[in-house]
Amino acid sequence: MRILLVDDEEEFVATLAERLSLRGITADWVTNAHDAENLVNTQHYDLAVLDVKMPKVGGRELKKILEKKQPGIKTIYLTGHGSEEDYQAGSAEAEFYLMKPININDLIRKINDALDRKAQGGGS
Amino acid sequence: MTGRIDPLGAAGLSFYSKVSASISHEIKNSLAVLNESAGFLEDLTLMAKKGRDLDINRLETLAGSMLKQVKRSDAIVKNMNRLAHSLDDPWTQTDLNVLVELIRTLSERTTVTRGFKVTAALPDSPVMAETNPFFLKNLIWLILDFAVNRPGNAKAIEIRPEKSESGARISFTGFANLTQVALNDFQTEPVRRMLELLNCRLQADENQGMIQLSFL
Repeated sequence: MRILLVDDEEEFVATLAERLSLRGITADWVTNAHDAENLVNTQHYDLAVLDVKMPKVGGRELKKILEKKQPGIKTIYLTGHGSEEDYQAGSAEAEFYLMKPININDLIRKINDALDRKAQGGGS
Repeated sequence: MTGRIDPLGAAGLSFYSKVSASISHEIKNSLAVLNESAGFLEDLTLMAKKGRDLDINRLETLAGSMLKQVKRSDAIVKNMNRLAHSLDDPWTQTDLNVLVELIRTLSERTTVTRGFKVTAALPDSPVMAETNPFFLKNLIWLILDFAVNRPGNAKAIEIRPEKSESGARISFTGFANLTQVALNDFQTEPVRRMLELLNCRLQADENQGMIQLSFL
C-alpha cells in the first residue's frame, strides 16, 4: 500500500507520514497541489489524503486532477474547520472526511476501509 | 419593530464571524501539528520501552516543534483578543500602523488561500487618526476581500498607512483590472455607511491599480 499526503502544514504532514511509516504504511508527502501532480506522474498511489483548504489549489480541486491522472485513486479529506455545507459536500465526494486534529488509528481504519471498498469495486 | 436589520451592524457581525472562522481554522491547524508531535513522542516512548534506542535528536526536534506551535497559537489568540477589544472604545486615537498590521495578519489565511501575498509598508513613526477602530478594520477587511476577488493575474497587495494634509490615508496597491465602476460596485450600502461613520472617502487610481482610503 502506498499513499499520498498533501497538506500545506509541513510539520503536520511530515510527522504524520513518519507515524504512518512506523505502522507499516508507506506515505509520501508534499505541501501543495503542484508537487502532488508531479509525484503522481511518476508514482502510483492507492489513496490520497488531502487537506481541503490549501493556498491556490485546495483538496477538492486537487482530487479531480489526481483522478484524471490515476483513475480509481481513493481520497480522504482533512480539514481544520469547515462549515456544515463544506462537510456535506466533502462527504459526498470523498470516501471519508476527517476533522483535525486527527486520531491516527481512526485515519488508518478509514484508509483500510476505503481500500477495501476499492478492492470490492465500490465506493465513490 | 420593523424587522429590518441595521446594515452596518450586520456587516460588523459578518466580519467578526468570518474572522472567527478563519482564526478557529488556524488554531485547529496548530493543534493538529501539536497532536502529531505529541503522538510521535508517544510512539518513540513505546518503542523505547520495547528496547529500541531513543533518538535524542528527534526528541529535541519534536519538542522544538511543539514549542513553536504553542507560540503560534498564542499569537493567534492574542490577535483575536485585540480585535475583540477594538469594540471597547467606539471612537479613539488609533495608530494606523498597528491597526493595519493586525488586520493584515487576521486576513492572512483568507488571502493566502486565494494565492495572494499581502504586505504592509509601515512608516517608522506612528500614523495617528481619530477613528472607530472596529469598523475601520471591517472596511480594510472588505477592501482586501475586494482585491482578492478581482479578475486578473495580480497576486500581491501592499497596504501603506501615511500621514496626509487632511490627517491620514491608507493606500492599497496591486489591484488587477481596477476601474471606477468596480469601485462603485464595491461601495454597497454597508460600505457607504462605514465610510460615513469613519468620515472617510475611497478613491481609485485605475492606472496604478491603487485605492486610497482618506480620512477627511
